[in-house]
Amino acid sequence: MQQTIDRSIRMNRVKGRMRAWFSKPANVILLIFLVTLVVLTLYPLITMLLETVTIHVGREARAAKQTAGDFSFYHFQRLFATAENDYSWIQFYQPFLNTLIVSLASSLIAILFGGVVAFLVTRTNLKYKKFVSAVFTFPYIMPSWTLALFWETFFKNVNIGLKTSNGIMAAVFGIYMPEWFVYGAFPIALVLGLHYAPFAYILIGGILRNMDANLEEAATILKTSRPRIIWRITLPIVKPAMLSTFLLVFASSMSAYSVPVFLGSPVRYYVLSTKMKSLMDSYPGQAYIIVGVMILFGVAILLLNQKVTNSRKQFTTVTGKSGQISKINLGKANRPVAIILVVILLLVAVVPLVTFAMESIIIKAGDYSLSNMTLDFWIGTNLSERLDQGDSTGILLNPKVWNALGYSLGLAVTCALVAGTCGILVGYGVAKRRGSKLASWVNSLSFFPYLMPSLAFGAIYLAMSSKIPWLRGFLLLGLVGSVKYLPFASRSGVNAMLQLSGEIEEAAVITGVPWWKRMLRVIFPIQKSSFLSGYLLPMVSCMRELSLFVLLVPTSNTILTTMLMQYSEKGWAQFGNAINLLIIIVVLLVNYIVNKLTGASIDKGVGG
Amino acid sequence: MPEIILKNVAKRFGKFVAVDNLNLNIPSNSFITLLGPSGCGKTTTLRMIAGLETPTEGQISIDGKVVFDADQGVNLPPNKRDVGFLFQNYALWPHMTVYQNIAFGLENLKWDKKRIQERVKELLVMLRIEQFEKRYPSELSGGQQQRVAIARTLAPGPKVLFMDEPLSNLDAKLRMEMRTELKRLHRDTDSTFVYVTHDQLEAMTLSTKVCIMETGVLQQYAPPLEMYNNPANLFVADFMGNPTMNFIDGRIAANGEVSFGGMKARFEPQDGKALGERDVVVGVRPEYIHIDEDGVQEATVYSTLPSGMETTVKLDVKGTSLTAVVFGDVDYPVDAKVKISFHKAAVLFDKADGKNIARGRLTLI
Repeated sequence: MQQTIDRSIRMNRVKGRMRAWFSKPANVILLIFLVTLVVLTLYPLITMLLETVTIHVGREARAAKQTAGDFSFYHFQRLFATAENDYSWIQFYQPFLNTLIVSLASSLIAILFGGVVAFLVTRTNLKYKKFVSAVFTFPYIMPSWTLALFWETFFKNVNIGLKTSNGIMAAVFGIYMPEWFVYGAFPIALVLGLHYAPFAYILIGGILRNMDANLEEAATILKTSRPRIIWRITLPIVKPAMLSTFLLVFASSMSAYSVPVFLGSPVRYYVLSTKMKSLMDSYPGQAYIIVGVMILFGVAILLLNQKVTNSRKQFTTVTGKSGQISKINLGKANRPVAIILVVILLLVAVVPLVTFAMESIIIKAGDYSLSNMTLDFWIGTNLSERLDQGDSTGILLNPKVWNALGYSLGLAVTCALVAGTCGILVGYGVAKRRGSKLASWVNSLSFFPYLMPSLAFGAIYLAMSSKIPWLRGFLLLGLVGSVKYLPFASRSGVNAMLQLSGEIEEAAVITGVPWWKRMLRVIFPIQKSSFLSGYLLPMVSCMRELSLFVLLVPTSNTILTTMLMQYSEKGWAQFGNAINLLIIIVVLLVNYIVNKLTGASIDKGVGG
Repeated sequence: MPEIILKNVAKRFGKFVAVDNLNLNIPSNSFITLLGPSGCGKTTTLRMIAGLETPTEGQISIDGKVVFDADQGVNLPPNKRDVGFLFQNYALWPHMTVYQNIAFGLENLKWDKKRIQERVKELLVMLRIEQFEKRYPSELSGGQQQRVAIARTLAPGPKVLFMDEPLSNLDAKLRMEMRTELKRLHRDTDSTFVYVTHDQLEAMTLSTKVCIMETGVLQQYAPPLEMYNNPANLFVADFMGNPTMNFIDGRIAANGEVSFGGMKARFEPQDGKALGERDVVVGVRPEYIHIDEDGVQEATVYSTLPSGMETTVKLDVKGTSLTAVVFGDVDYPVDAKVKISFHKAAVLFDKADGKNIARGRLTLI
């Protein structure tokens, strides 16, 4: 008798505790996300790993002389240890080495360029600061291939690469650049470096701007010379940010696909990502192994990053009397430095746009005379009568283009809404249950997609979708995009929530406001601009995304970016350039409108 | 033994005037406090003397050497002014250990290694932080960070030491302790201290002279007790002392009779000067209002706030509220009738411009 009473009491207690636990929305949210994220990130990962030990139908089965579906380590052996015809060297080790070189170089370029500009803008009396600061984030907002394409169109000539036509440099100035300058490691590293320099600019600049000026002043008072202050005080303090940037740019460069495709493939210069794509069609098993290698790299980089940022030499959070920073007077060097910077920025951010515009209106490549220009590729009709290749109407009259634009926009908005909202919820849950195991799991899991190279992520979902018949088309693309961009949104969500004191919500709880109303009426309005940045970043990224979707789109005409790639592969340069310009304009426009309407801006969310 | 002289120093940020026409003579070996509410220009003044901020106008000299002169275009950078500066948030370098923080300034002076080691050891012992030598700032408590900051500032042995609210981030107990240490430090180091604070008690207890400012304008520059007893104007009188001085609007007649808050009193100025008839504000320090049987004026107790050592009594006299401080722990019931009288001295301020007219004895009639 006594025992049954004890048991029922214990049952009641357990029930009570469960009810208390589930009555807190943060717990429910975290639980839901834990399950969802495990399914959406770990499940595809495992699926992918299984693919590396499975023989696939077609050439793979024939080459391996095994039946499709068999379990086998054939792919590993083939990719890593085949000396015959230098197979392993060509298919894996060479691209692997290239990836390391390119990523290393681009990280250094990004840090050097972004860091120096960040220093100039925050710490000196440089002229034209406003312009520099505004234009500097352009390359990040624009698709990464923009610069690559620009580089190619500008410098290509009939002696190198595909040897098709002359670019502006050769046609107008008669200068024929050597191959190493136009294609291969050098331009890839440079273009990626320039593309990710805003990363460094925002991360390092943020620290320089928020850095307590007293730290430098204290050194000045102690008779430290300017160079010594920079070397011994300023640089060490921004070092964690620099290392962070280095690792993030390294990871991003490693997984970049479109830049090496444009600047590497024409001369058979392969990196892991492009190699993986080319292997995917005939030897998927080996391609998935490359994906695995890339993910391993990503995880290693994340761990390294965490180690770097969690050192003993943390910043003390006490902030000083800011706004009293004494800026370095550049003196006579000011104007030249400013002008050089403005010219570089114009070259990187504005000239490409002009070039695309030019290239989209000339009829015969390489001839830049007025008589060779036409708006046909934009608004012409019945072009097939005059042209031997390409569409029959200009892109603005082509329903395929408008469909793709609509699809791209729809996809971007969907991904932004899903990722952004989930980011806020994750932020809420993580901030509320800060320090708990559940919260840290969800936090890490929601960051995991960032580590997966886009192309690899697409490949994994491709493998997964082949097993789930209803996961197709828009649903698949939307899902992939939402998961892939969740890290951006959850980052800004967590940060925004951590800034918010718990009492603000508790004040509403006391008066009996239901949870959804607290979120909508109290929490969201307070951190509106941070949250909106969490929506904006996925949207912009999605709009210009190529590598994530390239394996998953039903047809190349589905979204604008794959359409562009298809045109570029076919050599329909004018249409391609026109579409490229269209994408950039749409992205910049979206960014501008959202920024004007809400005050949210890209640089609030960047920082991986 | 440097002396600091400020002549007509002004600092403007666009149209905003941070410091206006400041003249200040800081004698060597003194402990000067710049006191005032936030935004009064005290930090700006300190930073201008140190060279961290450039004045718009005026001249500053330290130890007979002109370090800034707007008219002659002289502007010595802070590292050439031979000064020490203690920041409000300590500004310890997060990437250096305690030892490295303290030694950094000495390395700049090209001291040899052995001498640096000895000097740092000496300071670590002096400020009782030997055991933290190898730690990073983020691993220290606020009070410990504060000591490291002081050690770093003192290391090169500056003859002038500037301190910008160095105690405001510490808790009350630690603040009290550090005050004592700062005062000793001042004697031991034999240097000139210039100290910025918004805490009047800190200014009272530490300094040899206080410079009180409001919206960039110097209000009074005097030793703390003189400032307390004979404030130059209503602002100073109100700022110095806690609980604050009682201010009662009134009028003085030609015969020296003051009527204020329903009371009448005879005022005898200390210097015997005739005051003439005019509107005044009568200022009486709370501790000069005595509550006893011999009192002349009846008052009602509004509330009593005992704090152990002393008791603050809020009184009501015919609709005018007064604050009195009684030594010791006394508790009056609410609405009790008591008798009060004024003792020692009161200060009369001109109602029109708030300036001190006279200090003298106020006797209720």
